Amino acid sequence: MVMLNILVGGRAGQGINKVSEIISNVLIKYGYYVFNYRDYPSIIRGGHNFNVLSISDKLIGSHESKVDFVLALDKNTVDVHKNDLKKGGAVITSDEFSKFGLNANVALSAALIKILGIDKKVLFDEVKKEIKDSGSLDAAEAGYNSQTIKFNLKKLNNNAKILDGNTAVAVGARNSKIDIYFSYPMTPTTNCLQELASNQIEDNLLAFQPEGEISAVNMALGASFAGAKVMVGTSGGGFDLMVEALSLQGMSEIPLVVYLGSRGGPSTGLPTYTMQGDLDDALRAGHGEFPRIVIAPGSPAECIEKTNEAFYLSEKFGALSIVLSDKHLAESEFSYDSKINTPLKVQVKRNVPGEKGFVAKASSYEHDEYGLSTEDAKITKENADNRMKKYSEIQKECKKFEMIKIHGKKDSKNLIIGWGSTKGAILDAIEGQDYKFLQVLYMKPLSDEIKKEMLKAKKIILVENNLTGQLGKIIREKTGLKIENRILKYDGRPFTSDELKEKLEEIK
Amino acid sequence: MKNAMKRERKGQPLATDVNPTWCPGCPDHMIFESARRAVLSLMKQGYKRENFAMVSGIGCHGKIFDYLNLSGIYGLHGRAIPTAIGMKIGNPNLKVIAFTGDGDTYSEGMEHFIHACRFNPNMTLLVNDNQSFSLTTGQATPTSQQGWKTKTEPLGDFNKPLNPLMLALSAGATFVARCNARDIEHTQKIIEEAVKHNGFSYVEIIQDCLIFNPEALKRDKMIYKLTDKKRTFDEAMNLAKEFDYNLKDGKIPIGIFYKTERKTLEEEWPQLNNLIKKNISWKDLKK
Ligand SMILES: Cc1ncc(C[n+]2csc(CCOP(=O)(O)OP(=O)(O)O)c2C)c(N)n1
Repeated sequence: MVMLNILVGGRAGQGINKVSEIISNVLIKYGYYVFNYRDYPSIIRGGHNFNVLSISDKLIGSHESKVDFVLALDKNTVDVHKNDLKKGGAVITSDEFSKFGLNANVALSAALIKILGIDKKVLFDEVKKEIKDSGSLDAAEAGYNSQTIKFNLKKLNNNAKILDGNTAVAVGARNSKIDIYFSYPMTPTTNCLQELASNQIEDNLLAFQPEGEISAVNMALGASFAGAKVMVGTSGGGFDLMVEALSLQGMSEIPLVVYLGSRGGPSTGLPTYTMQGDLDDALRAGHGEFPRIVIAPGSPAECIEKTNEAFYLSEKFGALSIVLSDKHLAESEFSYDSKINTPLKVQVKRNVPGEKGFVAKASSYEHDEYGLSTEDAKITKENADNRMKKYSEIQKECKKFEMIKIHGKKDSKNLIIGWGSTKGAILDAIEGQDYKFLQVLYMKPLSDEIKKEMLKAKKIILVENNLTGQLGKIIREKTGLKIENRILKYDGRPFTSDELKEKLEEIK
Repeated sequence: MKNAMKRERKGQPLATDVNPTWCPGCPDHMIFESARRAVLSLMKQGYKRENFAMVSGIGCHGKIFDYLNLSGIYGLHGRAIPTAIGMKIGNPNLKVIAFTGDGDTYSEGMEHFIHACRFNPNMTLLVNDNQSFSLTTGQATPTSQQGWKTKTEPLGDFNKPLNPLMLALSAGATFVARCNARDIEHTQKIIEEAVKHNGFSYVEIIQDCLIFNPEALKRDKMIYKLTDKKRTFDEAMNLAKEFDYNLKDGKIPIGIFYKTERKTLEEEWPQLNNLIKKNISWKDLKK
């Protein structure tokens, strides 16, 4: 089995992402799978950024803590990461390529491609496609010639694609025929705004950046009421600003989809790092009692499908749908080769303003069936009961979708429970071992299957990228079952597969 | 959601059958009547009733949502403006009127006011300015007279009042007007002009609050009507300066201060232009 981890490091602005991109694209063309983790501080120029690019002949969804190569665009990278090398690992610096200026990164990628033993033509095709600057081919030539072949990677027949979570959410929205996306830039979801904005005219949609998140969400409700299919995107701080309007959604029943990509918190926290700390927030944000749907995809392919389900459910029930992700899923690049389900049709069948003879009124006040305010006790109670009834209908409808997934050894008595972006590391850590992995995708409503699976297991282990084990708590609330074994990580970094494997061993 | 057309009051088109709960004599009744007559008059001039949509903020002013029988959203305190802009982006063929208060627009939702002037969406903003948070029983707003003592500000409001017309002008509003709530005919006429304006039309409607800020009553004799003449930006600014909201002295011009043309938000976006040209909404767009 091939499994290589390549760390690419440098200052912000030196083009480390280009290195990962060139290597990834070449490897994908060569029939391999890749996973690219991005680690960068909130700095535009300078500082220290690095990616860990993992390559395998099997599908992977995480990186390892020790690497086989360090590709260094500056000296600092060597100092910081030389201890991350595996035994026999190597450092390649861009020193000898400095004459190529900004193309030094191309030379560095080429050097690694040679080491892997990949055909020069595949590399050159890629460089030609990616970088129009004429100096890039000279740099590629020099880089390629600077090394000798160490691995003779064979060409394979796999045909994977590369996708990050942000782009995948955008694809899911486009598959749902989104009309308008309202978003105020905030890491880690800014790239979703960029993606939807980039081709908006051809895509027949509009990406609008208003003066802030409060505006974004109220605009979205206004546009949705007028008959458009809308989504807002943000991260924790921006989401908190939207909360009053989420409650307005609950009262007015105007369809709304929210894409929430969490990062390290509380507050401004770690803007460019990852955490699963906002699950409680997504489940509860907004005053008063009203139904909602919270879905947490664990891979880009799931981002595409689950975003579409979020649109479908929101429109069908006049409900709030939240797609919950985090920096690790939103900004890491995953290869995948699974087929995406045919998108569900999202149709606006509501009465909207503009219809002759119809007056459509939606209200933030408790209201009668015409949308006119009331303080009547009987209507107040009936409306509250109807909101609960709507939730029961949502629960029924969600059963049509994959609310959980079972991975790993199907008859194992060792059950791992997790959600969202930890999926990749969990799958890689339990590969070939005696574990069953229950991935929760619907955080609300929660599947009844979870309890059944828990009752079948001997040992249950909760894996979450947060401090308090938030999924564990909601499972306990729903099932009465407490999960004794918890592997929690909350330093802003995602799990690596080897680290997780070790932690699992300790519990076993 | 049922069709509220069924709730139309007999003999009073565009009014619902809900009885207004504004205080007796409150100018909000008169603003309602001006708005109702303005829309009726516009309908006679060819505008379609179904193409009107309203958004209200929260406050005494906002209650108009339950009384005026047009489609729309009874929104959040301070957020009527973004809700209305969203409605316009969601269907640029709608004629959207936002009904708000001074607490709503100049306090809680100030940022939206400034940006709406910049964005220039083709919609109308009415601000019922009673210089008081009245539904919360009378506290000072940004336009209250300096020194006003309320239960929550027993030492008096320390701040100089904001001049919202000067602010709107400098933020780029393309239509700036002021009315007196108790002059129903004039207010109706200005609302009609505002709706017809291609761009963001802002109408400040000064009104008294008989219960909490009766001092505002004193200003009647200061009010005078502007002529219809077209004005430069500087002329409009100078007129706006005539009244400082302290209710002590000066003159209070009412009428249209400033009117100019600039590309609207809808005209800037090709996607929205396309919908306008085809006279359809996103809902009808084949994708
Ligand atoms: C977020 C929020 N904060 C506070 C309130 C309470 N509140 C209701 S009406 C109002 C003041 C309204 O003042 P104004 O907009 O001037 O309207 P008026 O009642 O004077 O017509 C306030 C503060 C609220 N509804 N929502």
